[in-house]
Amino acid sequence: MSGKREQRSPLVDVRGLKKHFPVRKGLLSRVVGQVKAVDGLDFTVGHGETLSLVGESGCGKTTAGRSLLRLIEPTAGQALYRATPEAEPVDLFGLDGARLRELRRDLQIIFQDPYASLNPRVTVGNAIAEPLRVHGLANRGELEDRVASLLTRVGLRPDVANRFPHEFSGGQRQRVGIARALALRPKLIVCDEAVSALDVSIQAQIINLLKDLQEEYGLSYVFIAHDLSVVKYISDRVAVMYLGRIVETGSADQIFDAPQHPYTRALLSAIPHADPRRRAERVPLSGEIPSPISPPAGCHFHTRCPLAEDRCRSTWPSAAEVAPGHTVSCHPVADAVQGANSTTGS
Amino acid sequence: MEIEPKREGRTPLLELRELRTWFRTDEGTAKAVDGVSYAIHDGETLGVVGESGSGKSVTALSVMRLVPSPPGWVEGGEILFRGESLLSVPDEEFRRIRGNEIAMIFQEPMTALNPVYTVGDQIMEAVMLHRGIGAEEARTHAIDMLRKVGIPSPETRVDNYPHEMSGGMRQRVMIAMAMSCDPSLLIADEPTTALDVTIQAQILDLIRELQQEMGMSVLLITHDLGVVAETAHKVAVMYAGKVVEYASVETLFERPRHPYTIGLFRSLPDLAGPGERLVTIPGIVPSANAFPSGCRFRTRCPIATERCAQEVPPLAPLEEGGEHTVACHHLEEAEALR
Repeated sequence: MSGKREQRSPLVDVRGLKKHFPVRKGLLSRVVGQVKAVDGLDFTVGHGETLSLVGESGCGKTTAGRSLLRLIEPTAGQALYRATPEAEPVDLFGLDGARLRELRRDLQIIFQDPYASLNPRVTVGNAIAEPLRVHGLANRGELEDRVASLLTRVGLRPDVANRFPHEFSGGQRQRVGIARALALRPKLIVCDEAVSALDVSIQAQIINLLKDLQEEYGLSYVFIAHDLSVVKYISDRVAVMYLGRIVETGSADQIFDAPQHPYTRALLSAIPHADPRRRAERVPLSGEIPSPISPPAGCHFHTRCPLAEDRCRSTWPSAAEVAPGHTVSCHPVADAVQGANSTTGS
Repeated sequence: MEIEPKREGRTPLLELRELRTWFRTDEGTAKAVDGVSYAIHDGETLGVVGESGSGKSVTALSVMRLVPSPPGWVEGGEILFRGESLLSVPDEEFRRIRGNEIAMIFQEPMTALNPVYTVGDQIMEAVMLHRGIGAEEARTHAIDMLRKVGIPSPETRVDNYPHEMSGGMRQRVMIAMAMSCDPSLLIADEPTTALDVTIQAQILDLIRELQQEMGMSVLLITHDLGVVAETAHKVAVMYAGKVVEYASVETLFERPRHPYTIGLFRSLPDLAGPGERLVTIPGIVPSANAFPSGCRFRTRCPIATERCAQEVPPLAPLEEGGEHTVACHHLEEAEALR
């Protein structure tokens, strides 16, 4: 994340990730449909890299993050994981039992509201020690030292170990959540709206902490957020989601400086900028996101898209590469880029 | 009515003078709002920014007489509406002002809408109460208002219950309800915080359009400096129950003067260059039960001195009679922070 944008060797390579939830109705809870929360995602997280999943409510970004960690069971797909660049890949979605438990150490998550994920009756010291104890990674004597050094690392005083979660402010609780996630020396942390609930001044402290830890431990992040100015700042790569699918993916610079998909453009133009001289020229986006139970046929975005054509209403546009590492799922955009390429080629 | 000469030569629509709203808590008295002064003129949007616990919402609730009591009460100060004291108006009479002259919308419309009545009923109730018109006329008015706030097929939507609508639609209904009596002042408390960014853009555009069309003033409470930059004319920055800086939006964003305002801007990720570390404000917001003596920001301020612990800095104009006001003892030293 230190400004380098070259291709990193993949830590986890996700192909065709799907998560469908049954919709049940009536006395017998018959399944009457499927919510295709995530419907065929391909993405790669490199070693030491931050990939952000962005999109609006219901786009499936949180479901994608949780499926990746098997906190919910994916319906289909594979996630090839290499702990080191040389290691043989293992499919995270194909593991179970002891092997899954072992690999789970490498994969951690930080939530938006650490208050909801910390037991109010357990001291933060015990909360941080718990994963170490569960995985038998530290004996009684070492535990206290490990907890103290973790607390120090996230910017808290070691003597707060005896306090309970309610004695902390939101920012401090998020630091506890981070310490807990770090305890097992993970390779990958899913940050699920991890800074969204924090005040601006505190948010900046936590973002700096996450960046420092990444550099120090070579961590990879899957950063799930709706605040795009934070995403722009923290990401190496970005995948933009709409109704369960990725519509555009690229480096942070490609997405923010040269967005191609009409949805990405509308989304970026809607961000209010902290500069009164730059009152937005918005790409207006009418209407609202359709229900994921019955997403529109073809390209899910066609009902709100200014570029929509007939074929957009019938066939999903497969991802086309518009620049190295920059792919877009859009019929008109792909055509325009191909057209431009063939003219320069001839 | 006697009109005393003002800086801008006219009576503000709403003016707060040294407003104090306190709460009784187990840990002592929480001085959530503790000497807040600001004014909104006709047709103007004032953005009030601050982090959680700054007192920005409690100030607005005090104006609307919606502070839960107990434990809260207005301890002192003045709230003037068109130059007349609101605090001395009896409850009965105040009900004619609230919802009619001054309307309010909230962050989560679901908590403000009644789930067992249709949205049409709820808009009709307000206009029938304040305007004394019949049910049929009120229903037509409700449909008109729903159309005005951009709700598709308002003739059928008028009979929907709140839960049948999306978050963005519910916020539109809230706005329709608030606007139905053509208020002079709309108080919007984090109106777009719970919404997605494309829906937020739609709602902010809507508020701006309605403001121009109906000529009302808007008090916009938010933590989002981007929203303020795009929407407000004037900005008041609050910290720990007080206004620390007030200026036009252009001035404030171009040349903030208070160390807290400067710190807020510097911690924004969208203003940081690639690879640049974010500048942070150290520490956390002090609790309302235990604000520091003197300047309340001093415990987190990089340039605080002994004087800051002794004397409360007054919110004073930078230049004689000027609009830009700042509460800081060390304005020159603060320049180095930017």
